Amino acid sequence: MNTTEFLSSIKSRGATVYPPVSKHDVALANSALQSRRCAMFPAVFLDLYNYASAINLGNGYIFPPIEVSRNIIAPIPSIVDININLINTPEIRGKTIFGRNDLFWFAFDAFGTFYMLDNLNLRVLRKYDDPYRAMSDCLIAGKF
Amino acid sequence: MMELSQANAEIRIADLGMDDLPLEPIRPTPTPIAPDWFKKYHELVRAFTTTLTDCISELSVMNLPQEDFIDLFMGRRMPTNLSVRFRIPLVWGGKLELSNLFMCLTFPYAHNMDRFIIEQSGNDVIWLPNPAKKIYMPAHLGSGGDGGNATQDRLTEIAAQIATSRGME
Repeated sequence: MNTTEFLSSIKSRGATVYPPVSKHDVALANSALQSRRCAMFPAVFLDLYNYASAINLGNGYIFPPIEVSRNIIAPIPSIVDININLINTPEIRGKTIFGRNDLFWFAFDAFGTFYMLDNLNLRVLRKYDDPYRAMSDCLIAGKF
Repeated sequence: MMELSQANAEIRIADLGMDDLPLEPIRPTPTPIAPDWFKKYHELVRAFTTTLTDCISELSVMNLPQEDFIDLFMGRRMPTNLSVRFRIPLVWGGKLELSNLFMCLTFPYAHNMDRFIIEQSGNDVIWLPNPAKKIYMPAHLGSGGDGGNATQDRLTEIAAQIATSRGME
């Protein structure tokens, strides 16, 4: 699977894909994560952000490089804000949270491994070699 | 993480923007869950949304379009930015029952409730959000959407029609 196939698949299930932001904004988000000792974006994420910022399916979200506003609905926070708020959480040191639904959080590490985490304590529940599988699980588990 | 006293738990939840959210202490006991829990969870969430016809005042604050409101009551679709949460998580002994669920806005509240629980990771006693009603909306958001009482009246009427069509009245 590649990014366009992933986006096509997730759109066919009803996901909302928000338009991409500038490469400059993505680079700023990446360096903000790095300066806070979070994992930097793996290649798959840099490619994804060429096509999309946030993705939303039900209560499943992939976080955007910068906040996405939604009129009267609360904005989708940026991946940087999400991770800044967790900076003192030892369970995710070296990882970056990239998505959530009502049951699980999702993260990647500096080696490009993706994780499903328990949203009660951030314990690793599953490791993924396939990042698209991780992103799909994050969104599809949130579908109503 | 240091064990939280009730006072400190209330201070922290207020910091997260939910100063009127009741908290309940539990001693988390690891509990095995049934292999088919995920399917049953989705069925339960769908059933839960159809019970919300008695939560008009909370729903009217959310400014939902009429179509979203009807879809929610009919269990067809969850409007954007709404989450359904367990009061007591299944792995800590919570039951797959309607009374163990409540609804709130995903951002910021459900996400911040996750943070609040994660911050207590490893503690003997965990303070869990346990709102009095089926829907949690902070009191500071006030009552009534754009249409004020008119919105609430309209939603009440729709809810009553749906309840009647189900033979609930």
